[in-house]
Amino acid sequence: MADSFTFKPIRELAGLISGREVSPVELTQAFLGRLEEFGPQYNALVTLTESRALATARQAESALAAGRKGGLLQGVPWGAKDLLATGGGIPTTWGATPFKDQQFDYDATVVARLEGEGAPLAGKLAMIELAGGMGYIHPDASLTGPPRNPWDTGRWTGGSSSGSGAAVAAGLVPFAIGSETWGSILIPANNCGLAGLRPTYGRVSRHGAMALCWTLDKLGPLCLTADDCGIVLEAIAGPDPQDSSTHPEPFIYNSNIYSANFNSGRRYRVGVPRGVLDEAAGAVKGNFEAAIEVLKDVADVEEMEFADLPYVEITSVILMVESASAFEDFLAEGGPRELAAPGWHGRSPYARPAVLATDYIKALRLRGVMAKEVDEAMARYDAIAAPTAMNTATPIDQEFRSRSMTSAGAGDLMGSIGNGCGLPSISVPSGFDADGLPTGIQFMARAYDENICLAIAREYQARTEWHTRHPGEAPG
Amino acid sequence: MTTNAENSLEQDLLFAIIKERYGHVLTGEQLDSVRTAIAGQREVLRPIREYKVANDEEPFSQFKPFRGD
Repeated sequence: MADSFTFKPIRELAGLISGREVSPVELTQAFLGRLEEFGPQYNALVTLTESRALATARQAESALAAGRKGGLLQGVPWGAKDLLATGGGIPTTWGATPFKDQQFDYDATVVARLEGEGAPLAGKLAMIELAGGMGYIHPDASLTGPPRNPWDTGRWTGGSSSGSGAAVAAGLVPFAIGSETWGSILIPANNCGLAGLRPTYGRVSRHGAMALCWTLDKLGPLCLTADDCGIVLEAIAGPDPQDSSTHPEPFIYNSNIYSANFNSGRRYRVGVPRGVLDEAAGAVKGNFEAAIEVLKDVADVEEMEFADLPYVEITSVILMVESASAFEDFLAEGGPRELAAPGWHGRSPYARPAVLATDYIKALRLRGVMAKEVDEAMARYDAIAAPTAMNTATPIDQEFRSRSMTSAGAGDLMGSIGNGCGLPSISVPSGFDADGLPTGIQFMARAYDENICLAIAREYQARTEWHTRHPGEAPG
Repeated sequence: MTTNAENSLEQDLLFAIIKERYGHVLTGEQLDSVRTAIAGQREVLRPIREYKVANDEEPFSQFKPFRGD
């Protein structure tokens, strides 16, 4: 049974806490109960971290009682994708059988920062094994079984932050942290009808997170609203001496950027890549076009074009080589044999060490060309809009992409550019298809312009109600 | 421009390297899958190799000398 706290955005929960309508301990207990009851039914939960959550909640409660009011996340529980290290004897499985008993003696920076804000960690959430790094093509590539979508448990959540998507969509936690190397935050956000923010590369410390591809991995929030994403990002972002790739400046979330910067009558400028709807399913296309009409209330929208470069191939080569290196020992020891989906198809991870060094370096050189060309094209716009995915959630027992490497990510212009260039993007729901499955629209901004894409997403959500709809509670 | 024969030879040689390094942990069927994947990667690499970049276009990954004190 849903309680009065479920599906409330962070500001509302914070208001309930500050108004003494609920205590941090009560709120945490409520979500722990939901996570324990429903989490396994969606294959969303790996480990319930009850005692740790309650300890943080009690600290938050004591602080409030002593008059030490913290930020908006004080007392608001959350879930972590199970690739974030947690000390204290809590396993960090990376979603994979060979690592099911793995433990660390430290916390990932993101975990430490959220707990430092007084946000109780309620659970470690399911994920596609090794963040999909071995080239999976089926949703069942997970230690905890195929992640089930709360909108239709016969569909999957998307990956690899699958449990993070399912848990927030089902109201089992108010927000969750996911990671994205290529699509792993935005696709679960799309499939589960959530707001998911992929920050600029280096905005959030990767210290303590499983490394799949050092120059592509990003950590970010999956939430009910764009505003929630901004709140969480401010808490987890910032420089970290333990991650040399972190940006030296802190991120200050500006939830009033529209009134602060745009009240002089300036409208947003939004570009839509030419041909971006060519491969979109009917509902995705229709909902995107309707979303653009809504946006025209606050934005000038025009078609644009990126320079002709092999974006998908550049990002693919970097991903292949870095992941092969990150898991070099694992491959040599035959580790993939123990995975749920060991990659015995046309995307075998064992082929990746066959990429020549000169080809990899060439891809890195082209990455520089790509970064400059893309930034020049995007400089004319506040954000680039596109459907987050070309389809809604696929059946849980169905391959979701081709076995062939040659069509790996084919057509994923936004994903290859956004991840290859390390650009921020937010996905928010744009409607539903005839089966009641969510579609998403993404707004991608220039590097370090999270406040811009968050502002546009907020404007969109202020004019639509898709984000206020939630799936039925009981798995069907 | 490379010929089909050269492509095939390169794929055979790359496959031989992989078989030498990882053959002890792979079955015959799995090795067949590796061969298929190497052929797929060849298609991914084609536009990378064909794209011309200037001599001074450096890899987009900055090396920084480290000093710990």
